[in-house]
Amino acid sequence: MRIGLLTKKLLHAALFDEIWDAMKVTFKHMFHRPITFQYPREQRTIPDAHRGALGLLRYDDGVERCVGCDLCEVACPSHCIKVVSAEDKNLPLERYASEFYIDITKCVFCGYCVEACPVNALAMTKMYEYSTHDKRTLLFDKKRLNEIGDRYLEDAKKYLIAHNQEKDDQRSREYRYFFPEPVLKSKN
Amino acid sequence: MALKPVTTSDVEAATIELSIDGHTVTAKDGVSLYDVISDTGKIVAAMCYHYTFDPFGSCGMCLVMVEGKKAPVRSCTAKAAAGMVVRTEGEDLFQARKKAVEKHLSVHPLDCPVCDADGHCELQDMAFQHQVTNLANAKQKLIPEDTRSLVLDFNMNRCIVCGECINICKDVQMIDALQFLKKDGFTQVVAKGDTALSCEFCGDCLAVCPVGAITNKYSKYLYKPWQLKKTTTTCNYCGDGCQMYIEMKDNEVVRVTSPLSWKNKWGDRADTAVGHGGLCVRGRFGFQFIDSQMRLQQPLVRQNGKLVETPWLDTIDSLVTRLADIKAKHGPQAIAGLITARCSNEELYIFQKLMRAAIGTNQLDSSSRYGHLNFVRAMQHALGIGRMMNDSVDITKAKVILLVGSNMTETNPVASLRVKESLRVYRSQLIVVDSAQTNSAKLASHPLLVKPGTEGLFVQGLVKSVLEQDLIDAEATGKHPEAFAALKQAVAGFSLASIAKQTGVAVDQINEAAAVFAEAPRAVIICGEGIVRRPGGYHHVLTLVDLAWVTGKLGRPGCGINTVTEEPNEQGAVDMGAASEFLPGQARFEDEAARAKFAKAWGVELPAKGSEANLMDIVARCRSGEIKALYVLGENPLATFPASLGVRAALERLELLICQDPFLTETAQLAHFVLPACTFAEKDGTLTNQEGKVQRIRKSMEPIGESLPDWHVMVAIAGGLGFSMEYESSQDIQTEIMKLVPGYYNLGQPRKVEPTPESYLANGYKVEVGTRYRRSQEPSGSENGQRPFGLIMGQLLYHSGKLSTQASGLVNISPNSGRLHMSVEDMERMGLADGARVRVTSECGALELGVEGDRSVLPKSCFFPEHFNDPAVKDLMPVEIDSITGVPYFKLARVTIEKV
Repeated sequence: MRIGLLTKKLLHAALFDEIWDAMKVTFKHMFHRPITFQYPREQRTIPDAHRGALGLLRYDDGVERCVGCDLCEVACPSHCIKVVSAEDKNLPLERYASEFYIDITKCVFCGYCVEACPVNALAMTKMYEYSTHDKRTLLFDKKRLNEIGDRYLEDAKKYLIAHNQEKDDQRSREYRYFFPEPVLKSKN
Repeated sequence: MALKPVTTSDVEAATIELSIDGHTVTAKDGVSLYDVISDTGKIVAAMCYHYTFDPFGSCGMCLVMVEGKKAPVRSCTAKAAAGMVVRTEGEDLFQARKKAVEKHLSVHPLDCPVCDADGHCELQDMAFQHQVTNLANAKQKLIPEDTRSLVLDFNMNRCIVCGECINICKDVQMIDALQFLKKDGFTQVVAKGDTALSCEFCGDCLAVCPVGAITNKYSKYLYKPWQLKKTTTTCNYCGDGCQMYIEMKDNEVVRVTSPLSWKNKWGDRADTAVGHGGLCVRGRFGFQFIDSQMRLQQPLVRQNGKLVETPWLDTIDSLVTRLADIKAKHGPQAIAGLITARCSNEELYIFQKLMRAAIGTNQLDSSSRYGHLNFVRAMQHALGIGRMMNDSVDITKAKVILLVGSNMTETNPVASLRVKESLRVYRSQLIVVDSAQTNSAKLASHPLLVKPGTEGLFVQGLVKSVLEQDLIDAEATGKHPEAFAALKQAVAGFSLASIAKQTGVAVDQINEAAAVFAEAPRAVIICGEGIVRRPGGYHHVLTLVDLAWVTGKLGRPGCGINTVTEEPNEQGAVDMGAASEFLPGQARFEDEAARAKFAKAWGVELPAKGSEANLMDIVARCRSGEIKALYVLGENPLATFPASLGVRAALERLELLICQDPFLTETAQLAHFVLPACTFAEKDGTLTNQEGKVQRIRKSMEPIGESLPDWHVMVAIAGGLGFSMEYESSQDIQTEIMKLVPGYYNLGQPRKVEPTPESYLANGYKVEVGTRYRRSQEPSGSENGQRPFGLIMGQLLYHSGKLSTQASGLVNISPNSGRLHMSVEDMERMGLADGARVRVTSECGALELGVEGDRSVLPKSCFFPEHFNDPAVKDLMPVEIDSITGVPYFKLARVTIEKV
């Protein structure tokens, strides 16, 4: 019994049995497709419902959708949104956000703001690469958010449809809120 | 009016019993069923109901089931009747109410996100409560928004036609500036005649609008209600002392709201006798001065002729050194102080303590010297009461109100609502004696328009008329036969005809007014600036006391003599001893017992008797060089007094002028030290309103820049002078005041006062009454002679003192036109058009300025608002100083007007 065990051990040692075991796994990988992909060179396909960076959207004619209603601010659980709204002096009665900030370092990507938005001005995009050397640039202001919105408009629209915020039909695409006209003083 | 309870305080309504949800409830006959239900504590939704006016019944939400009726009834317009069996809950009622909400929502735009009322909207609440999720055939009105008004925007798409705005404007304010108009197929609220809204802008319509149909232009789109931090405080504009909420967003005042709102609509109609909780235009729209760009941020010290920003420590250090220098070199009598009555009680107390105890001078005064002290001194002298006698309930329930020389709807708009309510609800008679066609004169049953400056004379005429018509109260006069005989003798010196000639009111009218006043069971006198700010003010108040005495109104419940004040704490200034003749608690400065008490409490020797100097003495002593240092706290004598008084020369002669103010005023520009002070919104404290209610002001924001509360600075100065005052907060000062003036705060309730005229009538009365009546009979020199016009300087509704000119909202409504207001008749006679220029000449000088027609101005008089100094109309005013109270009179002048 003892001698048999010893001979078996010796044989294993002489034939490098463990090495062959390990090599078996290695060689097996030569015959199927790699699981990892070369991230910066290769991009992953992302599903439509993906929650990436937030962007501010415009209508197709270039008019801002946001009416500065502050609802995203109140819906945000991590208090990372700040909206300052004002009346557009050139277009009286039109409410708009004069300033809009999202502190993306605080954002938990819950998507509540998108759900709260009554005019679907906010949407999440597939953009997630915004790492930086300067943390201050991660406080997205209105300009940055508009840029993201403009650049990833198609993603954003898909996101809205995927999250059932907007229907994929002509009627809902055409819907938008119109402000009432002012009665001007000259009519007096 | 049918649904109101029987509100005359003489008749008590019958009590009935009815059953509500199985409970038996007692109620007054004739009351709205809704009121009965809400009195039991049940809240039935109602969007068009507010307790301050009659039920309107348009929203269809307050449905209840009444036994014997097949369909639900609107409880607000239904009258409670004996034996009614009422059910307020149930699935059927819920469905019926839901239908009503759906009806409103079907024509209401779903623009909540951009609506200012979002989150503070009754329709939104109702839709949520009744689970309205789907709307069949909804449609949009698409009405353009009315932005023509200066203050309010009307978005009639959102209007639910509840009529609350119209009702409150008509019933409570009695302005009636709004109306329903059917336009483009929808009933809309528009300003009368579908023009730009131009009214008193009290903003009550804005407060009661349950949706966002009426919005505030000054805060439009700047907020969502849930973002605002709300602080309850007391308004700082006039003596009414209205409670208000300052709403802030990130240290920025966004809007001011009132306790009156659609949110508290449940109440007893009788509660409005205390007040309806609203505000006036100044309180609601004049908040911009609080965080104005013009606010002083840092202490300024004059170096080489220029004011240079300096840190607080250095400023106080050099200030105290110079003050101590002057005190050491010239004695405490070389230092004086002036304080504004916009400060809190605690600050006024600290101010007089600083002057009297730390510096050791009794040369101090407050802005109540401009008139209110006339009233206080006269009332103290005659009746032993240092303030007005009635509270707002007495005024509301009066049978007759005699309003003398007070344009109350402009100067104290919210207090004037009590007069309006007494007219409307309690059917009182209103006698208005004024030298202008004021709004109250338009409402009055007896409008008596006198020539400028003859209001006091007219009161004498009333006394004479009461005696002539034998309307005297035998019981009151019988107690003091000698005094009565003296009064009889005094009034024998003139005839009613001569009074009629001088005042311009017919003898019959005087007699009728006297009869109406004397015969009323509850008669209230309210006097204003036409009495206390015109020559002889002190005596005229005493004449009012005579009138009340001979007609037996003194001490009778519901009767009394009252005043209105311009600044919020004029009463508190007197009570806190910020007047040279008073120690705190209105103890006379000469009073040995009081002196001993305060000397012991403060641990110092009080300044000697007879060393006091009031406002005018201080100005005179500054001019003569006796006073070397002046501490001006919130006051602005340079912009207030006519140039003839030589205030500029007096201030320039000072070795040390310290100015403490939120703004760089004209006086501050001359100062050696300018200390930035907080406004009322940045500090805690109390204000005493004209009624004697002590009300709190609360800190709603952090001080702007490096400004500090006034008391803080004064404590620092006192500490520098070696007199330690140890207060952590205004609470500590209150504790000290409570010890020294027991019962002053009285939990914010005015204390009932009892007049004690006995010693006055028994002792000095005989001597002084003769001279008093003779004195006013002497015709003033230039009257009716070469100067035919009376030039009055007074207040506008939209402004208060000089403070409101810093509030951009009010300046926007009422900018300085720089024009003289003249009567339309005079302008026609003289061939003047609006904007034409005239030369105004008084004994003090001449001035060229434009004119404009004003229907409230009487012929032979003209008016210029006292808030503006451009052009400097104030310099035309002659100054007369009251020999007894030292009150300066400079609001009335005789002038000639020539076309240029």
